Amino acid sequence: MGIVIAVISGKGGVGKTTTTANLGVGIAQNGKKCVVVDFDIGQRNLDMHLGLENRVVYDMVHVMDDGISLKQALIKSKITPNLSFLAASQTKDKSVLESEKIKKMVEELKQDFDFVILDAPAGIESGYEHTIEFADRAIVVVNPEVSSIRDADRAIGILDSKSQKVKEGQEVEKYLIINRIDPKMVQSGEMLSSEDILDILNIPLIGKIPEDKGIIEASNQGKPIILSQDAAAAQAYTRIARRICDEKVDFVDVENDAKGFMSKIKGIFK
Amino acid sequence: MKTKQYSVKVFEVVLEDEERFISFFDKNYLFFQNHLISIIGQKNDRIERYLQEKALRYVFNVDIPKKSTPTQTQMTPKIPEEKKQPKEKPIQKNLQVLDKLIRSGQELNIDGDLLLLNRVNSGGSIIINGTLIITQVVDGSIRCNGNFMMLQASNKANIVFHDVEIDNSFLQDKLNRVELINDEIVITPVLKEKSWV
Repeated sequence: MGIVIAVISGKGGVGKTTTTANLGVGIAQNGKKCVVVDFDIGQRNLDMHLGLENRVVYDMVHVMDDGISLKQALIKSKITPNLSFLAASQTKDKSVLESEKIKKMVEELKQDFDFVILDAPAGIESGYEHTIEFADRAIVVVNPEVSSIRDADRAIGILDSKSQKVKEGQEVEKYLIINRIDPKMVQSGEMLSSEDILDILNIPLIGKIPEDKGIIEASNQGKPIILSQDAAAAQAYTRIARRICDEKVDFVDVENDAKGFMSKIKGIFK
Repeated sequence: MKTKQYSVKVFEVVLEDEERFISFFDKNYLFFQNHLISIIGQKNDRIERYLQEKALRYVFNVDIPKKSTPTQTQMTPKIPEEKKQPKEKPIQKNLQVLDKLIRSGQELNIDGDLLLLNRVNSGGSIIINGTLIITQVVDGSIRCNGNFMMLQASNKANIVFHDVEIDNSFLQDKLNRVELINDEIVITPVLKEKSWV
């Protein structure tokens, strides 16, 4: 039986979809069968990050409502055969989502894959609630700034009250990714520190991703950054993917990993 | 003869500095919409106009009968046996102990006392009519009407004790005890300075 992981954030634009795409590739490269599902009904995005724009024929709503089989709708990634993708509908909106149908689809995906990764929509409305409903774990993506933290806090609160697992008296495991860390700003003290964020959200950290301009370029080309292993962000995603697959991977201090002038000077005096 | 009896919430204020008076009410007038404001000091056109504008009800220099314990806003009829007992207020009622992070958007409504062993995050809120003790930092909002509260709050927090907003700068860095003593809100740091360590 596969594990269902919802990637959530509350606030939009913090990097949920980028994270989903990269972790999907990372997990698949780790030898696990993985499917990424775009739950942002009405606003399809994940296909572009994976470079599968022109391959989408059937989407999730076709599977749930129109009797299309998962086999027909699932798209195999060009990057690695272990990775599959299920698109969101662009023509319908989130009102078409119904718990029973989602449950049936997720259960079916769990049979075939080791990891089912659901890319949640921004916000905390019904689309979000349906994404977390059948999740076993959640990965919370935040940026080191106050509004992202508060929205994530709210999203976790809803997760803790509305997911199926919680209703059955169990707990949904939650892990934190701090995305877009700018080492220079952290060193100058302008950014919220990771310690503060962990204090506020009170969930375990699974990784930090440094800010990297290459990520936008990579998404534009449909080649997730994780494929360019010389980038610090790519290595960070790989480490997280391995942690998700239950490997023990040491944490790397991405805040002080910058090859800036100051760190060079500090390096001399170390 | 037809009579009615009400209990009214009165907020008493001594008018010394007009500017400070107005800026205080600018900030807090929402809390006083259901209060009668009793002003002690020189009657003053500007202040009167201001209060009328804000639709606040007020009286000048009226001697309002007060009980010695302003925390008791409600009088409940008691059976005679209880009346004989000393009037001392119970220090604790329905105490709940919670170790739960109050996240953004979550609201805790508590009837009784609460000991909270976790944080109150920005956007989270606690409304309580009893005593409140919070052992970790408060970033959210607190409405407390109990005997006292003990907490440490950041400058993001919004703390209201008996309908009066507390200046956060008094609550930072360490645990503080906030209580009503003779109509006045008194804030005392719980721990003494540890400079000798």
